Amino acid sequence: MVMQQQNIPVLEVKNLGVYRNNVAVIENATFTINKGDYVGIVGPNGGGKTTLLRVILNFLPYVQGSIQLFGVDVAKFLSWQKIAYISQQATNFEDQFPLTVRELVSLGCIRQGRLGRNFSFDDWKLVDENIEFMGLSDVANRRIGQLSGGQKQRMFVAKALTHKPELILLDEPIVGVDSDAQEKFYKKLSDLNIKCQTTILIVTHDLASVFCRMSKILCVNKNVELAGITQDLDTAKLLKRAYGEHFHFVFHRHGCEGEFVHDY
Amino acid sequence: MTIDVFNLFGYQFFQNALIGGVIVAVVCGVVGLFLILKKEAMIGDGLSHTAFGGIAIGLLIGINPLITALFVSILAVFVLSYMRRKKIATSDSAIAVMLALGFSTGLIIISVAGGFNVELFSYLFGSILTITFSDLLLVSSLSVFVLLFISFFRRELLSMIFDEEDSKIRGIPTNYLTIIFDLLTALTIVLSIKVIGTILVVALLVIPSMCALKLNLSFKKTLFATIIFSIVSTITGIIISAITDIATAGIIVFTLVAFFLITLIYKKLGD
Repeated sequence: MVMQQQNIPVLEVKNLGVYRNNVAVIENATFTINKGDYVGIVGPNGGGKTTLLRVILNFLPYVQGSIQLFGVDVAKFLSWQKIAYISQQATNFEDQFPLTVRELVSLGCIRQGRLGRNFSFDDWKLVDENIEFMGLSDVANRRIGQLSGGQKQRMFVAKALTHKPELILLDEPIVGVDSDAQEKFYKKLSDLNIKCQTTILIVTHDLASVFCRMSKILCVNKNVELAGITQDLDTAKLLKRAYGEHFHFVFHRHGCEGEFVHDY
Repeated sequence: MTIDVFNLFGYQFFQNALIGGVIVAVVCGVVGLFLILKKEAMIGDGLSHTAFGGIAIGLLIGINPLITALFVSILAVFVLSYMRRKKIATSDSAIAVMLALGFSTGLIIISVAGGFNVELFSYLFGSILTITFSDLLLVSSLSVFVLLFISFFRRELLSMIFDEEDSKIRGIPTNYLTIIFDLLTALTIVLSIKVIGTILVVALLVIPSMCALKLNLSFKKTLFATIIFSIVSTITGIIISAITDIATAGIIVFTLVAFFLITLIYKKLGD
């Protein structure tokens, strides 16, 4: 009997409440992400997307509810090597930092329990494989500061892949990457999601890509709503609940293209 | 009177000076590169001035001032880290306070005890040409310790400096690593005092890596270039100083700055 992989929960959030300075940032959030999900996290600026990720990673405290990672409460969770997090600031490093792409990606091979060890032949093989997978072989020996925004994003994913994560949390920068590069990036993540069954949660502003490429959408605007992306999903209603009544999003599934109409 | 440069190499004092100088140059370059990348060059300046208090204590009670300087700098590292952790002061103001306190300790001891001006001068500005065999032994054993640690944990250090949050998720004990690295910085400063003195040690920590960073190389090559810049300027300083009787530390700093200007021009031409 083949096990239904969709039913293995990777992240379970129940009645989550997050407050900062006594103001609710996330309220009563309940959702479950399963193995192999490719989830786009959307919502207005300041709606709590980044906060939600950081609470899941145990960087920020929460007041109500529970979070379970791979079936373990986040406070007791120890297998952090299963998780990769790429923060919004990741690509904001100093251009002068003296690292090549290959050197930076190799830093992902550092693991708890083998600190201070030299990297093995297999480590370097994995580094080069991931650089190739993310399409960075041509720039592997360039300094990281010389890359474009899109290449930087892919470089951090390559670094994350060196510890073979089962869950990738990606908080995407708002600016700095052109739409072509962005589309390539989402395509790569799709490949990864399909090839390795890696669960991916990505904060994004590109709604068209979410509906084209991803399996679920998580709308975050203090309240959190998870929806599967299917033919009969009422995208207009869903997005209005997340962004407000004045928001319209026209989406053509056949061409997999979308455009925004702001109606104020 | 002129001294033949090649004859110099036959003298024991000159050989000791070269060996000590090269060792210190390597350690300062390596530690300095990490300090620069951490944007904490001033901790080098702070600790070296604090060490001056330790030197005065050593001279007063009659034990090797390098040893008392070592204890005082290590104490300063712990106080600094406590102040940062408890958020008593930000890193740079905490360093400023430690610097002033350490230096004042030295000043008070000098004015109360008096009488060791000449010796004190040699610690303030270095006196590599008079380095003794026992000093050389102390300097090289401390250096081996610092270099071994860094060569084992260079990737973890680099990862922590580049992205501390991510390194924590990866299981790198960033808090311990930070304090150990600060302790190694204290060691490095103390072992450099004989070569370049407490006042100018920050130059040997900072300028070689500044030069190397201008060259746009990989990390490995940047580290290598840093060491080369550091060694060449130290040797230049020692040789010119031995011939002309001008203070070694001064020549080392001038050579370093000359290198920096050259790399700056090189970078401008390259762009």
